[in-house]
Amino acid sequence: MVKPVAIEIKNITKMFGGLCAVNDFSGCLFENHIIGIIGPNGAGKTTILNLVSGIYPPTSGEVLYQGKNISGLEPDKINHLGIARTFQNIRLFQDLTVLETVMTAYSWRASYNVLETLLSLPRVARFEKESREKSMRWIEKVGLAEQANVIAQSLPYGMQRRVEIARALASEPRVLLLDEPGAGLNQSEICDLVDLVQMIYEELSLSIMLIDHRMDVIMRLCQWIYVQDFGKSIAQGTPEQIQKDPIVIKAYLGEEVSCA
Amino acid sequence: MAFYLTVSLAIAVNSIAVLGTFMLTGMNGLFSLGQAAFMGLGAYISAICVVKYGFPLPLAILTSIGITIVLAILVGFATLKIRQDFFALATFGFGQAVIGVLTESINVTGGAMGFSNIPEYTTPLFAFISLAVAIAFVWGFRRSHFGRDSLAIRSNELAAKVAGINVFKHKMIVFLISAVFSAYAGALLAFHTQYVEPAMYGWMASVTWIIIVFFGGRDSLTGTVIGALVLLALPEALRFTAAWRILLYCVTILLIINIRPRGLFGTWELSINPLLRLFKPKKQQEAK
Amino acid sequence: MQLSTFLQQAINGLSLGAVYALIAVGFAMIYNVLKFSNFAHGGVLGISAYVGFIAATQFQMPLIPVILIGMVAGAITAVVVEFVAFRWIRLQKGQLVYFFVTSVTMLMLLEQILVILFGASFESYPYTLIQVKVIKFSDLTISVTYLITLFVTIIAFGALIYVLKKTKIGIAIRAASNDLTATSLMGIDVNFVIIAAFVVSGMLGGLSGVLYGINASLSPQIGQIVVKGFIASVLGGLGSLTGVAISAVALGLIEVFLISTIGSGLSPVVIFLIMVVFLLVRPQGFAGVSFADKA
Repeated sequence: MVKPVAIEIKNITKMFGGLCAVNDFSGCLFENHIIGIIGPNGAGKTTILNLVSGIYPPTSGEVLYQGKNISGLEPDKINHLGIARTFQNIRLFQDLTVLETVMTAYSWRASYNVLETLLSLPRVARFEKESREKSMRWIEKVGLAEQANVIAQSLPYGMQRRVEIARALASEPRVLLLDEPGAGLNQSEICDLVDLVQMIYEELSLSIMLIDHRMDVIMRLCQWIYVQDFGKSIAQGTPEQIQKDPIVIKAYLGEEVSCA
Repeated sequence: MAFYLTVSLAIAVNSIAVLGTFMLTGMNGLFSLGQAAFMGLGAYISAICVVKYGFPLPLAILTSIGITIVLAILVGFATLKIRQDFFALATFGFGQAVIGVLTESINVTGGAMGFSNIPEYTTPLFAFISLAVAIAFVWGFRRSHFGRDSLAIRSNELAAKVAGINVFKHKMIVFLISAVFSAYAGALLAFHTQYVEPAMYGWMASVTWIIIVFFGGRDSLTGTVIGALVLLALPEALRFTAAWRILLYCVTILLIINIRPRGLFGTWELSINPLLRLFKPKKQQEAK
Repeated sequence: MQLSTFLQQAINGLSLGAVYALIAVGFAMIYNVLKFSNFAHGGVLGISAYVGFIAATQFQMPLIPVILIGMVAGAITAVVVEFVAFRWIRLQKGQLVYFFVTSVTMLMLLEQILVILFGASFESYPYTLIQVKVIKFSDLTISVTYLITLFVTIIAFGALIYVLKKTKIGIAIRAASNDLTATSLMGIDVNFVIIAAFVVSGMLGGLSGVLYGINASLSPQIGQIVVKGFIASVLGGLGSLTGVAISAVALGLIEVFLISTIGSGLSPVVIFLIMVVFLLVRPQGFAGVSFADKA
């Protein structure tokens, strides 16, 4: 049986001026799978994510989503198609509460236009109520129900990460791109994060692409791993295969810590 | 009495323009130095329509707003994708360009000598109602998704895009609304002062509005409205000349930004919730 | 157009361009170090122009002292601006938008101070400041002020290049333009470097104010030509002082020819259109580097 493909990346290359950040990368994210891209810092992992989410277009190559070419589309259009992402250095909105932050993911679905806000039509109130309720569900799912009305940027780092994840989930995506979700978290926060990702993966049947340079996060979650080094793919395989691959071990020995 | 009414009218109408700047520059962080040019367009076009072509007032105002929207769309397409500091420069250039055109078209506009003999159509009631409507609109805007999106875009445009917000479309909508507010205020003022000249609509007027917004606090609608009333009324009360008035604004905002950058009112907002709670029927309160 | 007219216009344009280049480089320097647009530079320009004017008229000083006094006035004004408008915000790590507000406010404030002190009318630098008025060269009648402007500007840029490349403070300023944080990590007192940058920028501004005043007339609105410097910076590409200077000279030439063809009323419109096209097509300017945020 042919497994349906969520995202197919075909030979993408990205040059920044003279610097080749990604060199001919190809990869495949099957529906309802979790794949990982690992590599040392500067290996081009985040660039791949940026290419998929539309931050900039590839210099060459294509990104296909459900068979359609999405390379070069604007990030908001890609989001509407069903792909959501988080950022490595957390990008929250100043002066917005957790609830308001998550609600922004519903803005594009608004059923009212700007003139109608003046008339305070029931349509406006209805949409606002719905967004609020849906957003609260995502906030509860990531375990931040008590912080819903707190200014998001005032929360501790681990919670801010979860706000980002809630905001991404509020796009009700089919594909979730996680950019170094473990960055800046301490050991117990990482274990919580892994559990959270596992839970949303199973409950929501998402297809997830995960990037990190920490082995423990990747090994526990991913079914297939791509290894990058200096923009080039140097290996791919299951976690067991990657762990034993001499090329990977030679290029990059990651840290391993176990969660009890 | 008539004097106070006249002054209040001018303050109310100018506040409408300030509200436009509150939305554009305060909420969205778009630093436009050319908004006053839209006020000039609103003033001149509606005045010319009435004086030279005999339009009835509503049609004249609608015409000026219509032309303003078209021009604002063009300017928006040309400038809204540019980086923030360059946007300020580009809008400044636009403002200068408009003043240049107004000054050059002597046959139509009277050039630098100004355009006079405009009938006095603006009544205090009309002005106050307009202001009330403008405030209601901005208040509704802030509470809606537009309000959240504005703060999101102002704070982190990339994250806003990734969350699905069409940033350019949002900025364009805000830019148009702000232009319309300015144009409408310009028209109202023209039919009040009965005289307009290009120099009234330069970058300094735009900066004055920005100063007023940041004085009250760019995150507080109440602050901006009260700040506008105070800063527009004070020079009148103290009988300042134009130059001293501007000096007052400059010194005030320098003090505010250095000492209390979030503005006099910070993020405080006048809330009618406590008032509403008094009027809620008993059973709703018990159900809570 | 006759050749002689063309050449005269060209020299006029070059001299205007030279003044614009001084403004643009002064402006771009602060932009590179502090990463925001210092509109207040126009105010520095205006104050210096009037200080020079007073020196020339009240104290009957000759040309060179007038220029030097203008430069000193510029440096002092620039440092005052930094202390009043920018320093506290920077120390409080305030948001970029606050710098915009104060910088534009300072421009307005300084202009209004000039209006209050000198009234809104035009003034002129005294005719006696320069002994020889014109030089006749076959068909050409060249105004000496243009030549002096060009000459002085070249000397100023020569001095600037020397300072930036060979002196410790100049190198520190260049380092700060590149990476302010790294510079402070190297043990350099960033606040001192910033003040130094304002001093240099102020001197350039003061010089440009006096030269502009000598070439053209003087009015409180003179500060608004800082916008030309800003435009030149955009066209040339912020980050490259050479690119900025060259664009400014080009802008001067373009403006002079525009005015002689379509008049001074409509040339702002054309310049606006040129600028918009540039900002859309090549926002990094001729010589600039593209900015790309790390996502």
